Amino acid sequence: MSGREATRVGRVRTGASARRSILLSQHARRLTGWSGAFLLVLAFSLVPVLWIAFLSLKTPASATDGAFIPHHWTLSNYSDIFKTGIFTSALRNSIGIALISTALAVIIASAAAYAIARLEFPGKRAILAVVLGVALFPQIALVGPLYNLWRQVGLYDTWPGLIIPYMTFALPLSIFVLWSFFREIPGDLEEAAEVDGATPFQAFTRVIAPLAAPGIVTTFILVFIICWNDFVFAISLTSTTSAETVPAAISTFPGVSQFTVPYGDIAAAAVVVTVPVIVLVLLFQRRIVAGLTAGAVKG
Amino acid sequence: MSAVAAETAPGTRSRRRRLTERARDERRLAALLVAPAAIVMIAVTAYPIIDAVVLSLQRADLRFPGATKFVGFSNYGHVLSAPVWWQDVFHTAIITAISVAIEFGVGMALALVMYRTIVARGLTRAVVLIPYGIVAVVAAESWQLAWSLNSGWIPKLLGLSGDPLSHTFGTYVAIIVTEVWKNTPFMALLLLAGLALVSDELLEAAKVDGANAWQRFTRITIPLMKPAILVALLFRTLDAFRIFDTIYIFNQGAQGTESLSILNYKTLLDRLNLGLGSSVSMLLFVLVALIAFVFIKGFGASAAPGAEAVS
Amino acid sequence: MFCPSTRPVRFRVLGGYSLAAAAALLLCAGCGASGKGPATLNWYVFPEPSGSFARAAAACTAASAGRYRIAINFLSTSSDQQRVSLVRRLAADDSSIDILAMDVDWTAEFANAKWIRPVPTALSAQIRSVDLPGPVQTATYRQRIWAAPINSNTQLLWYRKDLLADIHRRVPTTWAQMIADAIELAKLGKPHYIEEQGAQYEGLTVWFNSLVDSAGGQIISGANRVVLGRAAEAAASIMHRLATSGAADPSLNVAMEGSSDVAFDRGTAAFEINYPFVYQSAIAANPRVAKEMGYAAYPEAVSGVDPHVSIGGYNLAVSAHSAHPGLAFNALSCLTRKQYEIAYAVKGGLAPVRAAVYGIASFQKAYPFHALIERQLRTYGIRPQTPSYADVTLAIQKALTPTSAIQPATVVDSLRNEIRLSLSSGALL
Repeated sequence: MSGREATRVGRVRTGASARRSILLSQHARRLTGWSGAFLLVLAFSLVPVLWIAFLSLKTPASATDGAFIPHHWTLSNYSDIFKTGIFTSALRNSIGIALISTALAVIIASAAAYAIARLEFPGKRAILAVVLGVALFPQIALVGPLYNLWRQVGLYDTWPGLIIPYMTFALPLSIFVLWSFFREIPGDLEEAAEVDGATPFQAFTRVIAPLAAPGIVTTFILVFIICWNDFVFAISLTSTTSAETVPAAISTFPGVSQFTVPYGDIAAAAVVVTVPVIVLVLLFQRRIVAGLTAGAVKG
Repeated sequence: MSAVAAETAPGTRSRRRRLTERARDERRLAALLVAPAAIVMIAVTAYPIIDAVVLSLQRADLRFPGATKFVGFSNYGHVLSAPVWWQDVFHTAIITAISVAIEFGVGMALALVMYRTIVARGLTRAVVLIPYGIVAVVAAESWQLAWSLNSGWIPKLLGLSGDPLSHTFGTYVAIIVTEVWKNTPFMALLLLAGLALVSDELLEAAKVDGANAWQRFTRITIPLMKPAILVALLFRTLDAFRIFDTIYIFNQGAQGTESLSILNYKTLLDRLNLGLGSSVSMLLFVLVALIAFVFIKGFGASAAPGAEAVS
Repeated sequence: MFCPSTRPVRFRVLGGYSLAAAAALLLCAGCGASGKGPATLNWYVFPEPSGSFARAAAACTAASAGRYRIAINFLSTSSDQQRVSLVRRLAADDSSIDILAMDVDWTAEFANAKWIRPVPTALSAQIRSVDLPGPVQTATYRQRIWAAPINSNTQLLWYRKDLLADIHRRVPTTWAQMIADAIELAKLGKPHYIEEQGAQYEGLTVWFNSLVDSAGGQIISGANRVVLGRAAEAAASIMHRLATSGAADPSLNVAMEGSSDVAFDRGTAAFEINYPFVYQSAIAANPRVAKEMGYAAYPEAVSGVDPHVSIGGYNLAVSAHSAHPGLAFNALSCLTRKQYEIAYAVKGGLAPVRAAVYGIASFQKAYPFHALIERQLRTYGIRPQTPSYADVTLAIQKALTPTSAIQPATVVDSLRNEIRLSLSSGALL
């Protein structure tokens, strides 16, 4: 029974039961409306994901048939990309570089965010200005000078060559997110610790840090996603399997011949690199929402 | 400072010294904690910027290693007198304006759904987040392969005989769709945070006064959300203005879609013309700073994240 | 084991970055540097799917009697991306490249920037004496040989015999005739597209340069004198004519070699200008099209004048930063030996650069269009041999896309200005 039919039925009744059924029918109508909205959201988010997944399951001969759902299914694209060294090393680089950059960024940002949130010191304003400046910085304007510097000091096409910019540009978001978490930890806890004779440093490591763990996990996930997704630095500062990450590798995948586009390989690699992100998003939805909103807008 | 305020007893000299020692400790600790972040951020951005300024005043072309020389501002002259620069400013502005406008509309709808829905709220939020989490290159590849006549389902769906990506209009549509898809969730999240600031009592009161849903939305919700909206627009505008990944994957700037970031990248890293390219970088940097300045000063400093903590 | 590759760890440790550096070092512990045993020669080359490069590398390794081992590394598919990935590393003094396969249009740039070593006299003399004139010229800059040609390439006209029979025509020999035939097929409602490469990329420059050279002109003479002129105007007119005639594939603006090939195999085209790889590809993709597929010489721009088709292919150079230049040149001469060249051609479809190979019967059998190719490699056209080639080609691509909007009368002047400016690193393109 649709919402409208329910309303019509409701009208012919009288008294209390009619009022109740009107309320019920309104509820049913809202349910239908929100379910429709949910389906729209689902389609909005998932169609491109499904498409690339389906494309990765098409046989090479049918990859150009333009059908959304494959007519001829195969897993061979997946075994193909793992056969060549290019993708496996890119995956290794992506994981390693993203993890190291994230860890460094979170460590450095935790310290800074703690100081900004809970300590009084001169120059706080200047620090925040720097953080904001870096957050709004056009990273693309940096790739040229960074390439020039890296090529001279030998960091071009190496892990540290990517880790350094990743870590740097992850700091503003990390600091904002962690800062908002640190602020919400009640202030008297530290004072109590300090009254008990703890130094500010001990107060940080023994009392605050454990309480901030959820904030740290959230920051870790957000920063990891950012590092995992980067393309500008990856395409500019790497060029071989030594340091090339998956996004860069996908954009330069070799085809079967000199002139063909490897549709299936691109799609399969895209799916492999997307799965971890989808898992993270589904598992940590609540944290990601909280972290991003807290990091950007101060309630 | 609350720690000081808490000390209500009349302070003896020794006690006061202990306090200032503590304050000094605190400052020292703060300096220690903040230093790594500050040094990293300043070193990794400031040094290259200075390098770029120096390079932009030279003929510095890695393909002509013997020909490096100081040329004053002539690189800036070459850039500003090149039609390509102004065309790319225009392309970038168009893509930024249209995609941010659509993202704002769709993002608001998504935010309302996430905030008000009574059906599978957690799942809805997770699903909305998926495009945000997806690697930008993957999003661009997916849409590019979807629009391309040789591989995609969209030309079939729309009954097109030619390739939509073979002309400017179709390519812009495809690129903007990709940008909107990938970035709306972030916009929606920022707006969601703003929605949480609007009190239900106020909306209820307006309802009692006879305001309809649209009036409540435009007269109460939107004004109360203004800080969040400004932050969302600032972040997304700056981000959209730097558009690179999508265009690079689609066609590297062909069909009149080249953005300033692509131009910057090509001049520096394809052509290895560091002098000319650095002047592009500097001008791009100035443009971005200008946009940020307009948002922050023009629409109120409260839009700046972190501003509140300083005050 | 975390071993990014066998290349030596190159970065010097910087104070502030030592943490990241240490982390990477840790992960790389155990990566063997080239120490004892044969020297490793890293060969960077475009992807060669038939495996004939890999087999030659293995054979040359064996033939070196333990002096070196050739490690083959495939670059990405597009030549633009191959160049980018190589030049950035060469400009960074990366010593992990020993031998590189250069697209024929890179020689001047790489030589001028001192990224590659000139070929020693003996090997130069050998290259000049055995290879066809076109390939030799592509490896030459300022009268010196900078690389050993390994394969050549030239575009032919591919057409559908059945469709031409429908309109009772012989194979067109000029662009004008080909466009007229396509229009006639269109009137009959038959497949009629002409597949060319009109996307904004190197393929477009190949097209323009072929037409300019075929019309008796040049884009640049020597390293830096801009010519263009009437021939360039004629070339631009032909491109514009095709794009607006209804004979072009509607996807012309995004067409590259691969997509032209896909379209032809799909059966919607009557003509295709492309490299010989399309022949094998049609047999695999659509046998019905392949059965009716004919080939002919590249159409003339001016009726009765032999076309000068932009020569393609690759030359092998030795990096200026290679630690083993002597061994690398030795490997170069091995990899370009006659028997391997035959294998590259027969197994991989790559056109040989040695004149003698074209006379071998078994090769002729496996490579049916050998006579056309050999002739076009003798009457070749060549893309500008200037160190600023990357800029020149970009200027051409920008000025001439979309092809349907070309204004032949004015485009040549603006192109001349852009190219002049780019020769002094001043053109923003």
